[in-house]
Parts: sequence; C-alpha cells; structure tokens
Amino acid sequence: MVDALGEIDRVLAPGGTLVDARPDSRVPAYVERRTPRGFQRFGIVNTSRLELTNDRASDRAIARVVGDGLFRRGRRGRFWHRVEFNSLPEVREYLRDHQRFVHSAEWVVDSAMRRRHSNDEFAIRRAVRFELLRSLGRP
Amino acid sequence: MSGGARHAGVDVGNHIPAAASALRPLPQVELKHWGGYRLVRDKRVLDVGCGDGRLALGVARSATRVDGIDPDPEAIAAARRNAREAGVRNVRFAAGAAQRLPHQDASFEVVILSWTL
Repeated sequence: MVDALGEIDRVLAPGGTLVDARPDSRVPAYVERRTPRGFQRFGIVNTSRLELTNDRASDRAIARVVGDGLFRRGRRGRFWHRVEFNSLPEVREYLRDHQRFVHSAEWVVDSAMRRRHSNDEFAIRRAVRFELLRSLGRP
Repeated sequence: MSGGARHAGVDVGNHIPAAASALRPLPQVELKHWGGYRLVRDKRVLDVGCGDGRLALGVARSATRVDGIDPDPEAIAAARRNAREAGVRNVRFAAGAAQRLPHQDASFEVVILSWTL
C-alpha cells in the first residue's frame, strides 16, 4: 500500500492533490425502511473484521507517507450514502453476498415488524470518508 | 427489479466488478463533498482503481484529460465501452497495478483513490 502511495507521489505534480475516499468502517451502516415521512431504522450492520483490518492498514499507510513528508493532510470529511432495495429479502441477499459487511444485521425491530414490512422499500445507509492530501514534491 | 440493489434506476448485480460501482455514490455527489468540480477543472486526473470508469467518466467533462487504471481487465473493457457509449474522448483506460503506474513523473495534478485503498 505504501508502495502504491509512493508511486502515486511520483506521477503527481508537486502541489497536486491526492483524494483518498472509501467507506468509513469506523461507524456502522444502517438498514432503513422507507416511510412516507422518511426512513425508519430497522437494523445495524457492522463491518467485517477483515475489512476493519484492511482499513486500519490503509490508515497506517497514509500516516506513513504523511510522516515521510510526501504529502500534507488537507480537507477531510464524511458523508452518508444510501444503497436502495425493493424488499427486505433483497437487503438480506446483499448482506449475505457483500464482503465488506458482516453477513447479517443486528435488528432493532422485532420479527413481526420485519415480516409485516418485508416487501417495503429499504436502504442501507453507509458512511463514506474522504481526505484530500497535497503532494509536497519529492524530497 | 430483483436480485440486487438499485441505484439511480439502474439494475445491478452483486459481484461483477464493473457493475458494483453502481452501488457507490454518484460521481457528482462525491465531487461535491471533495470541494466541487474546481478540484478537477482543467486538470490532468488519474483515477487509480477506476473499475468500470464511473468516476473517471464523471469528471472527464471538467478535466483536461483523465487516465484510469485498474488491475481487472474486464473492468477496463467495461470502462472503454462506457466511454465509447458516452462519447467521452479525453479519457484513457489501461489495465495495471497501482504499484507500477505506466505514467511519467509529475504527469497529473489530481490522483483519485476512490474506494480503492
């Protein structure tokens, strides 16, 4: 990972900008049911242990190239993004197949509620983090 | 629609790398959060891990030139197809690894790692 960042530093002009954007595994994602007035939380979805490990490795790689004086940290932030589904079974299928998340949600509503609204529209709301890094030029 | 998530009215599968990008935020949404189109306007941009070109094609209208690189040849084929269909001429896609970029020193003003690290 540090190798890739070093290579990016090579092709980036001094003063250029590197954008690092990825899902924010430091906060959970949420399963939400669409209602006429907005969204109702149905469950919480955590990131898989493997992806948490990968994300921490990415963080360390960024910290290292910043520490080495290749980049200076700039603007950073987080926003929320909804992936929409037509039913709760589709959400379950997505979680079962998706590698980033654990494969089942922690439900915050009871099973009767989930059955009653199984065919409603749902979304998984997840956080996306970003950071802009300024190239300082090769020392 | 069945068998997967939907985004902006587009049916997508779960595992195909080229289609998986449809589950991500739209390019204009990501760009807005990063500071808007001025970030890439009249700049040479490299999209590392470009997949099917979702973001590269999204910024191409503002950028001088966009290069996309991805280790998945199928994704690169999809990116080239998407560029042709969109009529975007200032993008180039190549299969390759981020650890060995086929570009000259200091050839970009912006490098994007979107959902790549």
